[in-house]
Amino acid sequence: MSERLKKIFQSNNPKTKLVAYFVGCYPDYKTSLELIKKAIDNGVSVIECGYPTSEASAEGPVIKIAHDKVLENGDTLKDIIKLVSEIRNYNKEVGIVLMGYIANLYKYPISKFVTDISDAGADACLVVDAPHELKEENILREELNKKNLSLIKLIAPTTDDNRLKDIVKISSGFLYQVNVSGVTGDKSANETDVSNFVKRIQKSTKLPICSGFGIKSPKDAVKIANTGCQGVIVGSAFVKYIQDNLEDKDLPSSLGNYISTFTKELQRTG
Amino acid sequence: MTKNSLKSGPDELGYYGEGENAMGGMAVGETLMPALHELNKGFEDAIKDQAFLDEYAYYCKHYIGRPSPLYFAENLTKNLGGAKILFKQEHLNHTGSHKINNSLFQILLARRMGKKHLICESGAGQHYSATAAVAAKFNMPLIGVMGEIDIKRVNQNIIKAKHYGAKLKSVPGSLKEAITFAIKTWTSNPDYAYIIGSCVSSAPFPKIVTFAQSIIGKEIREQSMAQEGKIPDMIVGCLGGGSNFAGSIYEFLDEPSVKKIGVEAAETAALSNGTPGIMQGMKTYMLQSNDGSKSLGGSSLGAGIQYFSVGPMHSYLKNLKAVDYTFATDKEILDAYKLIAKTEGISAALEPMAGAAEVIKRAKGKSKDYLICLSLCGRGEKDLDTIQEHIGKDFE
Repeated sequence: MSERLKKIFQSNNPKTKLVAYFVGCYPDYKTSLELIKKAIDNGVSVIECGYPTSEASAEGPVIKIAHDKVLENGDTLKDIIKLVSEIRNYNKEVGIVLMGYIANLYKYPISKFVTDISDAGADACLVVDAPHELKEENILREELNKKNLSLIKLIAPTTDDNRLKDIVKISSGFLYQVNVSGVTGDKSANETDVSNFVKRIQKSTKLPICSGFGIKSPKDAVKIANTGCQGVIVGSAFVKYIQDNLEDKDLPSSLGNYISTFTKELQRTG
Repeated sequence: MTKNSLKSGPDELGYYGEGENAMGGMAVGETLMPALHELNKGFEDAIKDQAFLDEYAYYCKHYIGRPSPLYFAENLTKNLGGAKILFKQEHLNHTGSHKINNSLFQILLARRMGKKHLICESGAGQHYSATAAVAAKFNMPLIGVMGEIDIKRVNQNIIKAKHYGAKLKSVPGSLKEAITFAIKTWTSNPDYAYIIGSCVSSAPFPKIVTFAQSIIGKEIREQSMAQEGKIPDMIVGCLGGGSNFAGSIYEFLDEPSVKKIGVEAAETAALSNGTPGIMQGMKTYMLQSNDGSKSLGGSSLGAGIQYFSVGPMHSYLKNLKAVDYTFATDKEILDAYKLIAKTEGISAALEPMAGAAEVIKRAKGKSKDYLICLSLCGRGEKDLDTIQEHIGKDFE
């Protein structure tokens, strides 16, 4: 269990945290670092640093383009962990979660991955295609526990109550609530559905809930913040902003301004 | 089934084997996990229901045309001058390949589970056209996903599936890209039934597809006993994901006296040249970059065997050395096609010609009563343009 994540979610400022997903090393290592620094400067509470895999099964077209670019550039999980250590040097308070798939984590291999992300100053990892039924998930969770790091687990609309109970038992840090059945950046969630979903999860746990998928604007973020979750997760919208403005000479600052439109709105929800 | 049986796996979580070497498992996103557990339960219930099994048997006979013959390839046998060669004629099935055994089984299962919509992927389009045919018969809408490269080269299957009313989604690439996209499509529609075409991906798919295709091996046993008075000494088949070969050998897994040889495409020979990894829902041998971040390409003239990975049961059997796995080049495949067309008057699909290439190597020097059974799992219509382009002049 990560102490830093615990502290972040115990704090009441801001009441609803912004969790921002970026593809690590996208569009390249140096720019990626500057982008994430600006995100932190503009009030992001937790950075999800994505690492790519060619057969990623839950990514929509926006994040897939970014994944493919990083793979094409030849940046690996090792480079992305180095990026994490630079992010940690820049800021000691922000939460950092490595997020990706089991393919390259397995080959890293798992125990070395946990040592390296711990040394880099990460707080947790989230592996999209590693449900608790998977042996490698069990190994990973055990290794993370030894280092006081969290394994962030997903709860989907299809997750029934029995399964939900099994998942919260093994979760720490926060729960990643997937609002809609689909790939990233695709469908948007209905506010009432999310609200009912948050209540359903809260019946089983006191863990913080961060709600994601389909949050495309500050307005969407506020709507989701009002459902009672502790954090909103924005991914594709930020990656798309980067994608659409690759020619911008001061992309980090303009991304920072864009992100602040989210954090300012979320401040008001408190 | 005894504990030491090779037919006792996979376990509840989809693993073939134990410990570090266990293959298979469930490596998919949370959204699909409940659907996979539901499917596993649906499957386990269905195979205990005699009425369901009777229904499957009925359509196998009357719709597919089973049993497919076990045919003595007399001229080929003479030509090679060694072992006696038998073809398991899966290409004579309705829709032209073994794929329909599985499409039919899974669609009947989907109906039993109350599913209304279907998704499938395809490489050679054999699974797509087979699934589209059964979907039409049972009046269920189908979305098929295929790679652009394959859509161009197996046009006949695409046209047929269109006539059956299926909708096609085209993605860049070939079979591996089609599988990843089909999983995404299912993630967006977890209430649909995903009719997977091979014994690959997350549990319970490898188990279900192997079950459906194991009808091939059961028939081989009965027919071989009736016609030859014994079971084959060797069974050879091609593999992409490995469903036709799994179906051919499953019946004989506990009989080491039956030699089993699986043949992949040379450039995508996961079992000969790959390493264990976890992608597309399963732990298995695959061709991947050293760091595991990328699946690796490689092409074959046989679209259905151009796949960087392989079903987990085959990886398990490879580790146990219970089955031998090898590969065939495009040239060997084309040479085998030519020989079988000329000696037996059979225009086979290019995929099983990978198996035929191995039979050609193995038959020589064997005694006349040594029986080699080749699973001839598809017919050649879809490949005629490719064949014409590469070796058309050889037939003039």
